[in-house]
Amino acid sequence: MKRKKLLSLVLAVSMLASMIVGCGGGSGAAGTSSSDSGSSAASGEVEEITWMFWDDLNATEDLISKGYKDVIDRFNADYEGKYHCTPVTTNLEEYYTKLNALVASGETPDLFIVSPGPNLTDYVTPGVAADLTDILKTENPDWYASFNGGMFDKQTYDGKIYAVPTNLAAACVFYNTEIFEEAGAAVPTTYDELLDACDKIQAAGYTPISISAGTAWCLSMLVGYLCDREGGPDNLDAITNGTGSWTDQTFINAGNKMVELSQYFQKTAAGDTNDVATAAFYNGEAAMLIQGSWVIGQINGANPEFEDKCGVFQFPAIEGGADPNRIIAKTDSLAMSSKTEHKDAVVALMKYFTDDTAQKYTAEVGGKIPVTSVEVDYDKAPKQLKYVMDILANTTGTLGFYNESLATTEAGSEFDNQMVSVYLGDQTVEEGFQKVQDYYEENIWNK
Amino acid sequence: MLIPHVVYPVQDQFCIRKGTVVYMNKMLRDKKAIALFMAPALILFTLVLFIPICQSVYYSFCEYDALTPPRFVGLKNYTKLIKDETMGIALKNSVFFMIFSIVSQLLFGLLLAGLLTNIKRGRNLFKNIYYLPCVLSSAALGLLWMFIFSPKLGINQILAMAGIEGPLWLMDTKGTIILPMWVIAFVALWQYVGQSMMLYMAQISGVSTSLYEASYIDGCTRAKTFRYITLPLLRPMMATAMSLNAIGSLKFFDLVFNMTEGGPNHKTEVLATHLYTQGFKFFKYGYASAIGVVLLILCLIVTFLINKFVKVDNYEM
Repeated sequence: MKRKKLLSLVLAVSMLASMIVGCGGGSGAAGTSSSDSGSSAASGEVEEITWMFWDDLNATEDLISKGYKDVIDRFNADYEGKYHCTPVTTNLEEYYTKLNALVASGETPDLFIVSPGPNLTDYVTPGVAADLTDILKTENPDWYASFNGGMFDKQTYDGKIYAVPTNLAAACVFYNTEIFEEAGAAVPTTYDELLDACDKIQAAGYTPISISAGTAWCLSMLVGYLCDREGGPDNLDAITNGTGSWTDQTFINAGNKMVELSQYFQKTAAGDTNDVATAAFYNGEAAMLIQGSWVIGQINGANPEFEDKCGVFQFPAIEGGADPNRIIAKTDSLAMSSKTEHKDAVVALMKYFTDDTAQKYTAEVGGKIPVTSVEVDYDKAPKQLKYVMDILANTTGTLGFYNESLATTEAGSEFDNQMVSVYLGDQTVEEGFQKVQDYYEENIWNK
Repeated sequence: MLIPHVVYPVQDQFCIRKGTVVYMNKMLRDKKAIALFMAPALILFTLVLFIPICQSVYYSFCEYDALTPPRFVGLKNYTKLIKDETMGIALKNSVFFMIFSIVSQLLFGLLLAGLLTNIKRGRNLFKNIYYLPCVLSSAALGLLWMFIFSPKLGINQILAMAGIEGPLWLMDTKGTIILPMWVIAFVALWQYVGQSMMLYMAQISGVSTSLYEASYIDGCTRAKTFRYITLPLLRPMMATAMSLNAIGSLKFFDLVFNMTEGGPNHKTEVLATHLYTQGFKFFKYGYASAIGVVLLILCLIVTFLINKFVKVDNYEM
């Protein structure tokens, strides 16, 4: 009996111990990292910071992501013994969800990448993103002066800067010159010419346009361009001010044109993800891809031989529509956590993202547009970048992605979803825009 | 001290040794012992379940973005829920999922359990094969099946070889219950049928062989034995398995999220994915909590109904 008692006591104690260890494990681990870095800062040891990014730096083939990896490696090597940065990575689709979960649990990364627009607003309004105005203008005026003009426009709220851009991309139409030649199609400058080119390419046995509706923003980018070509900046301004309506004729026309173009999409567009649709383009199955110029790094990283036959043209004009020289542009931006205890380390890292080495790499290898006035050797850069720069030289204005230019991230998501639904034939164009209108009336204008 | 191996009259359905009964009675009179034994479970239950549930109920009456303090708004979240079109779709999908799971898991779980208890060779092998998906990560399985059903890989490529154009398994939106929901429900059945099978097998193995022997002597066929001996004795386990299936399928999240993320245009949204999107994607934790409360109430109602309507008689086996 005694032996039994002893045995049950040992078992009970070990069970309790395992429970305590099990419960304490998670918080203990999380606590260790912060207390380590806190005490190390005081004792002059390595300051640990985290940077959150939307691609796996070790597995990626994307040249821009590889460039970011170089930045982190350079930073960690140069500041060895003083600062150390650990990247926290996830895939793009789940990026904001994971970031939001970290923010909500009080574990905001010291530095995180973010798209300007409602995504950045989500972190500025509740005070998650730090005000960088003084850091840029007062403490580091040389650094601030190195940026090109207008680069902070979309990161500024009430005169205060909340994020630092790292590169710029413009959305254009990438095309396969060989397929165009074989089909006898000319580079279109108007919507009707685009339809004509699509007919010829289809007749030659190729898919004219590769697009993804599985990744909703890809399809909605096309609709965004059509909306802007139809109604110009007035369209979005009127929606923002509450003076316009989503059921205005320009929006309906844009929707109808998307439906008209959809007969030229690959058959699997409804289920294809962005990566699959892009691969169909650089593998020579489709003739055109409407995408941001960040795709240059992806295309050339995955299929380097494709660079020579990849042309770029501006999204075509709509006859009788608005200004055809406006272009969708977007920056990657870095926001600093307002709660970070390692401000100096984070600022040092941000400088590495925008120094000459990183910015030259951005253009010459990654194929994206630098945000600073660094000298770039365009002969070394991917050929597609030169075409994009030529297009940019003639633009009269830029606009953000439609879904990232609306009032909230949810409004952007609603626009994306309704457009996918229209494309799938689930509802008419009028019904789709009416639903966006209903959403705005209920959640934005009359809130 | 040795406890005599005396079998006493049946108490409940188990035969309990006298020594144990006496010891238990003595223990149950000691209030300290009761408190001590209950404490770990009670503390854990309170910390992990009860307090968060109370918090969620409170947040469901607030506008709360988890970054600024919650602001009490009364029933606003609930009135919004009633008008929310996506909530309607999510409810419909969750209820479909629950009914499909209960029926299919019951049928296939029983069928597999019946078959496996009757085969002589390879029982353990098949048991492990059917149970294997249960222990694998749902997130990984969701991705795997997403690839299998994606238009450019897997099934559609095999169909294309036979000259058949496969449907858009995860993007089709025609019909009341759309194709992607059937696909996800099928994958969930594949993943969890092993669990139901194990529960039924455990119960079947507990049935005394003397009952079967008696039935054979009385001239029963195998089918009749299954109908009149096995099935009635399986009822308690059926109620348990059905409750588990119902609650599990109402809370279902991982496969849906990994295969469709609730899309296209919220058509495959279930309650848990809608809750997740509203909370973690759009920072609307108050609204997400209201969805959570509805989910909790649904789970309670379903469990209550199953326990009320599935009659359970305890037999001595």
